[in-house]
Amino acid sequence: MLRSTQINGSKFDMTQSLTNGEMRLPADWRDLFALTKPRVMSLVVFTALCGLLAAPGHVHPVLGFSSILAIALGAGASGALNQWYEAGLDAKMKRTAGRPLPAGRLDPQTALHFGVGLAAFSVFLMLFAANWQAAALLTVSILFYVLVYTIWLKPRTPQNIVIGGAAGAFPPLIGWVAATGSVAPLPVLLFLLIFLWTPPHFWALALFVRSDYAAAGIPMMPVVAGEPSTRRQILFYALIMAVAAIAPWPLGYTGALYGWCAAALSAVFVALSVQVGLRRTGEGDRMQPEKRLFAFSVAYLFLLFGAVVADHWLIA
Amino acid sequence: MTDETPPEPFDEAEYRRRQRSRANLMGWILGGLAFLFFFITIARMMGPK
Repeated sequence: MLRSTQINGSKFDMTQSLTNGEMRLPADWRDLFALTKPRVMSLVVFTALCGLLAAPGHVHPVLGFSSILAIALGAGASGALNQWYEAGLDAKMKRTAGRPLPAGRLDPQTALHFGVGLAAFSVFLMLFAANWQAAALLTVSILFYVLVYTIWLKPRTPQNIVIGGAAGAFPPLIGWVAATGSVAPLPVLLFLLIFLWTPPHFWALALFVRSDYAAAGIPMMPVVAGEPSTRRQILFYALIMAVAAIAPWPLGYTGALYGWCAAALSAVFVALSVQVGLRRTGEGDRMQPEKRLFAFSVAYLFLLFGAVVADHWLIA
Repeated sequence: MTDETPPEPFDEAEYRRRQRSRANLMGWILGGLAFLFFFITIARMMGPK
């Protein structure tokens, strides 16, 4: 969207650069901050921190902090590039129409430069503070989110969330690798856990904002396959996610504290998914079970990763 | 896309306010990064993690 304003009575396009003699309002820092999807970033930072804290050995606090900062900046860069690419789609959805780009508070070029610059800096910071393995994984996760999920999968297939979920599953793995320099079975299981958690989490949301996705032409599962199929798949993924969540305990990678927490939390997750999976909705349904599942799924991941760290420290 | 909306009056005070707030923020960020990179260097010199 082009924005226009007036200086001395002459109209000009705010998205033009200063090089052609015109002026534009500089972006407000709050809009640049909003571009990084801060709420999504909080989950990314927390899971990455848990991956780092659950790793064996000692990490210098400054290096640990810098690694987590690099992951946060990488996630912010991914969010910014995602919003830059999807500005047109965001404008069509009520939930996202108020974001800085569709609302016209920020010009696309600034968003693109901000995203690319932040991505490059996050990888450099990780390389400097941790190791090349963590920097390489961070690069892969940013590229996967932007190129594979945002540009390739999301507009093409209802499996976008399933495959694209891998991008959000990287943080605990990167945190672990930043601390140790190598990959181990436990962070791979944590990766798998987030990967399998993503479909029920996003499809619960997609069920109650289905009309938004349909209006924007995004082939989310409820839009393409319909509600009954989506509900069955939520239940299916919740069940295998529960198995993956409990698996580290019997496999000997965590202790009983994590095991019991995982079992209890997963039981609640599955119970909420059964409610969602088996019900049918009519006109004017307020989608309360779906909203409950979505809200609990966020708390579930926070509590489960907290349990991983608590368990590790108790054993240590 | 063409612009059909009427032009907004240019607010110079808002322009200056945004410039100043961004310049201040950039100063804090660059200062913070200088400290961070200094401490990372010290931490790495102290030996293997």
